[in-house]
Amino acid sequence: MKKISKKTLNSSFWRWWYGNLTCFSHEHMQTFGYMWSMLPIIKELYPTREEQSEKMTTYYPFFNTEPQIGSIVVGITAGLEEARANGAEGIDDEMINGIRAGLMGPLAGIGDSLIVGTYIPILLGIALGFAEGGSPLGPLFYIIVWNATSIWFQKFVYFKGYELGGSAVELLVGQKATAFRESVLVMGQVIVGAMAASWVSISTNLVITQSYDAETGKLTDVTLGSKLDGAFPKILTMLFVLFAWWLMAKKNITPIKVLLLFVVIGFVGSVVGFLG
Amino acid sequence: MSWLQAILIGLMSCTAASTIACLGTTVGNYTLNRPLVASLFVGLILGDVSGCIQIGIPMQVMWIALVTPGGTVASDLRAVSYIGIPLAYVGAKAAGMDFGGNDAQGLASSISAMTGVIGITLFYGTAMMNLIWQHWGWAQLDKGNLDCLGKVDVVLPLISHFVLSFLPVTLLCYYGSGAVAELFQSLNTEVWYVKAILSVGSVLPAVGIGILLKSVVSKTSDLIYFMFGFALAASMRLTLIAATVVGGVFALINYQMTMMKATGAVGGASADYDDEEDI
Repeated sequence: MKKISKKTLNSSFWRWWYGNLTCFSHEHMQTFGYMWSMLPIIKELYPTREEQSEKMTTYYPFFNTEPQIGSIVVGITAGLEEARANGAEGIDDEMINGIRAGLMGPLAGIGDSLIVGTYIPILLGIALGFAEGGSPLGPLFYIIVWNATSIWFQKFVYFKGYELGGSAVELLVGQKATAFRESVLVMGQVIVGAMAASWVSISTNLVITQSYDAETGKLTDVTLGSKLDGAFPKILTMLFVLFAWWLMAKKNITPIKVLLLFVVIGFVGSVVGFLG
Repeated sequence: MSWLQAILIGLMSCTAASTIACLGTTVGNYTLNRPLVASLFVGLILGDVSGCIQIGIPMQVMWIALVTPGGTVASDLRAVSYIGIPLAYVGAKAAGMDFGGNDAQGLASSISAMTGVIGITLFYGTAMMNLIWQHWGWAQLDKGNLDCLGKVDVVLPLISHFVLSFLPVTLLCYYGSGAVAELFQSLNTEVWYVKAILSVGSVLPAVGIGILLKSVVSKTSDLIYFMFGFALAASMRLTLIAATVVGGVFALINYQMTMMKATGAVGGASADYDDEEDI
């Protein structure tokens, strides 16, 4: 009975953690990181060079996902490779690559929206609060909390994947997982709304009319901004964010073009006296 | 800026080069590449931590969420963090601006948008150069040399970083800072177009939030949750963490409802309800 040693598993994990994207190209993305990570495992399980080379071909196909949550896939294949070396039935190139290909998409969806799209912005948001006035406490908070939690999480899912092997798949793409993902996204949507209101401030000082104060006998300017805010606080900010979203999500305009468009809008808006 | 400072900033840009960072995804891309974190290191190099962090804050807000689905980048933050922050800092200092003030913040946002474009070029350049190493790697694998993998994945990409990160960033910081300082020393912020450039900054963070919104919204009706969160903070003055808790409540309710639907518990309950109405 062959068993991958703890040391080799650790080495495989750290290689993936570090090297998942270091040799990124659009053609192979994370493929080389994946192979480098599998190398110690394959070397330990198969004694001859010929066999090692042959087993490595399993990991030639393209691989790309959100690499941090994706460490579970590397863990799963480590478990499967061990079973294959012990002569388990039905584990071949096709089966392993079926699992890899089947998990890439869903995991990228979870990782991009939950880790990159929700968790990191929340941490950064808290850090921005600490950093006010130029305090190094903000960046230090983010460096420590993000790295500690993220590395712990990646190591945890790698070893979970190794333990569960192929049975991890149901856990990741099953009904419960989908419901969980969608629910966390609801939280994400609420948080992004709060972030928009807290960090973006777009206002207009355009004077639309003047009001007469009977007691003092003075005329005061009434701005469009104050009228709008009376209806819904910071509504102009919200409309700008929704506009940016609409351009990117519905019109498929790249973010950088939207950014340049907003530079123009900001410039013109300021010159004509609408924004500011 | 001295050569030493420019070289140190150039080295930092390699460690943090977006998804391809030579310190990996977690430490490189998601830590050192974030403008807020970078501002601390640039501050240490330039000798003004507090000033650089204040410059870094509006840049961080702008790029708060940078999801790179399938390797298509909205921007490579290495240029924002390690070209934008030093140059914006030098410019604001030369113009005698208050780093936390509106002018400096507006300047930081405008420079952040411009350097974002440079970053994209650096990103695609690095990814293309890595193809050379990978090509060599496949040839070695065909010969049965498995030990080439470490070289291809970790060592050789450092050459890409040297050419496409270290050199451009170092040179831009060194020569750019002199030019920027000269330009800003004589800058009159009361001229209409300078004023307009500085106020562009207030609009740009909306794009950053828009990118983030796109990553969490899958159907248009989800936007109502976004507006709900917006109202929580803008109208009810909830802090971000308080809004997170409220959002968590809705997430839990949504999860339970979805699972009830899935297990058919709702069907049973509504049947009971119908019975009562009949009575």
